[in-house]
Amino acid sequence: MFDTAFSSIESVLVVSLLLTPVISGLLVTLLKRKRIIETTTVISSLLILIQGLFLLSSILEKKSILIFDGIFYLDSLSAIMIITISLVGFLSSLYSVNYMGRQYEKLIVDRQKLVRYYQGFNMFLFTMLLVPISNNLGIMWIAIEATTLVSVLLIMLYTKQGSIEASWKYLLIATVGLSLALFGIILFYYANSVYDNSFNSIHGMDWTNMVENAPQFDPNLVKFAFIFILVGFGTKAGLAPMHTWLPDAHSEAPSPISALLSGVLLNCAFYGLLRFHIISSHSIGSGFSNTLLIILGIISLGIAAASIYFQKDIKRMLAFSSVEHMGIISVSMGFGVFLGIYGALLHVINHAVVKSLLFFSSGSISQKYQTKSIADTSGIIKTMPITGFMFLIGGLAIIGMPPFNIFMSEFLMLSSGFSSENFLASALVILFLVVIFASFGKHLLHMIFGNPKSVMEKGDLGKLSILPMVILVSIVFIMGIYVPEPLQTLIEDASKIILVGGANS
Amino acid sequence: MSDLILPTQIDLLHVSAVILLVATFGIVVRRGFSDWLHAYRYQTIILAGVVALIAFVTGIWELYIVSALTLGIKAIVIPKVLFYVTKKLDSPIKLEINPYVSLRISVIVSALLVTMSYFMALQLPISSDKTIAVFLPVSFSLFFIGLFIIISRRKALNQIVGLLTIENGLFLFAVVVTHGFSLVIEIGLMADILVGVVISSILLFRMSRTFDSIDIKNLESLRDD
Repeated sequence: MFDTAFSSIESVLVVSLLLTPVISGLLVTLLKRKRIIETTTVISSLLILIQGLFLLSSILEKKSILIFDGIFYLDSLSAIMIITISLVGFLSSLYSVNYMGRQYEKLIVDRQKLVRYYQGFNMFLFTMLLVPISNNLGIMWIAIEATTLVSVLLIMLYTKQGSIEASWKYLLIATVGLSLALFGIILFYYANSVYDNSFNSIHGMDWTNMVENAPQFDPNLVKFAFIFILVGFGTKAGLAPMHTWLPDAHSEAPSPISALLSGVLLNCAFYGLLRFHIISSHSIGSGFSNTLLIILGIISLGIAAASIYFQKDIKRMLAFSSVEHMGIISVSMGFGVFLGIYGALLHVINHAVVKSLLFFSSGSISQKYQTKSIADTSGIIKTMPITGFMFLIGGLAIIGMPPFNIFMSEFLMLSSGFSSENFLASALVILFLVVIFASFGKHLLHMIFGNPKSVMEKGDLGKLSILPMVILVSIVFIMGIYVPEPLQTLIEDASKIILVGGANS
Repeated sequence: MSDLILPTQIDLLHVSAVILLVATFGIVVRRGFSDWLHAYRYQTIILAGVVALIAFVTGIWELYIVSALTLGIKAIVIPKVLFYVTKKLDSPIKLEINPYVSLRISVIVSALLVTMSYFMALQLPISSDKTIAVFLPVSFSLFFIGLFIIISRRKALNQIVGLLTIENGLFLFAVVVTHGFSLVIEIGLMADILVGVVISSILLFRMSRTFDSIDIKNLESLRDD
């Protein structure tokens, strides 16, 4: 098996992509010196990004890659995820050097915890990368559950009361949610096994196999199973009303991890949902799952709007904004027309970029002000000119101001909503977006331009904290003006997969 | 496959299904930390037996390995880890003193959940043979009673046992309906569960050190007001 397995360059790439974080995690465990573990993690995540880009280019060329006897399957949809994970992962590792270094200097973490942080960071990247590559939906579930476990370890790093509470809620709610999803997966697996009468076979859970057999599945079973999948993966993706763990977990985690949780991990869970959305569309048409996606998305937007309005804590506000944006992605996907799906996938990338920008800058800000309260944080632009500017750009982008990138994808969503004649849903989305625009904007202006409460030393927190933000801000600007050609092709291909609901074969 | 089952085997099926349910009720009605773990262990041993039985009936040899793994990891290692945690916890009283739902009402609710499971199993569009007819409702019962334990109890350890019960229910469901996942996935799932139990044990320690108890009523400070 293995001489054929390694025959293509992609299989080598996939294996090395998965091995890089594992090896780096081992090195961190062995070496333990602060400088060395930081450098190891930054280099390994840079390697992941480079390998991700190579994989991207070969996926652009071949459309879909099936390797290792069908265990791994990559298509444009997986490529979008891989590129998001590796980009945010790299920038987050870069930002960690400054952020965690500062926590170390302030004696909030000791060296043992620093080692644990970087071990967890590498394993977190590994588990997230495993999600979009695995073709076997059982392995995908295992990977998603593993992301929960690793991120729980990262959230409880500080061992404060708040972080223990947040990690317990997160562990419990996410695991119960995912067990519902597993129930749904078993039902899909059963439907597939009944169809080709092959019980207990490894390929019975392959996504490619299921998509092929989907038209023959029992429609009632598919509906029943999809509801469980939706609730299950929806819990992990932060869709309301199953989002209750999210603001706690995302606000108690260290800021670089919050960026990964909000920007990438939510998308990983949503990716799992999408794979089943495709199977279900193939089986019973897309109407059923589209309606459910729109409903959950609207609820998420509504709850996020109310919570952002009354919010007092910066990081919780950003966490609720993630609920909002997962809602936008879900609604946009649910409109079910090409433009909407394209917008949703574009929004996945845009949201990841902007939200990590916001979490990085708010991390530096709360380190400087030593508070997470919105009321006590004012006049950032006077005390930290560069970080404040980055935070302002991120904030304006996230509430959908033109000419930034989020505006583009939200515009696509709304126009597809009207073209697919979902007037009520579109109207509600506009209403909630306006509320969020006003309330987030109010908090933002207060924090950026208000008068500083106490006299503070002027200055930002070091070049290494600024660099990742500069990269992200430039992406925000570029993607606001145009989507680069290869990315455009990639998203178009992925949208076709979701729209037609099939593999490219 | 149903033709292969002899009458004695059907009795065996019924008896094991009943013991599974009784063990699950054991978690619901007892207050002591170690009582739950014992009940969970009995539940899992029976589960391993059921898997071996299904392996025998269907002739899928991987299921024997799965059964052995279940016995080894879920019936021996996981209870050991949790017993160790219980012993090391600081709090002197290792009992569920006043759960959100009293034990008496819990029993009634659980009985209702079992009834509901039997009703639900009839509704599902799954082709029925004798093993499915016997175990499908039982697996749903484990699932729902596990959920009920999680929402009605105040001790974090009890919630872990609830999660493990949910997982046992799903495992039984998968084995009965699809004759289990393939071995690779089964091993991955076990690894996930084992790591999950270890992580939640670490969390239990932290919780008891920070709050002096593992009562989840301490965990209500993060909220938006």
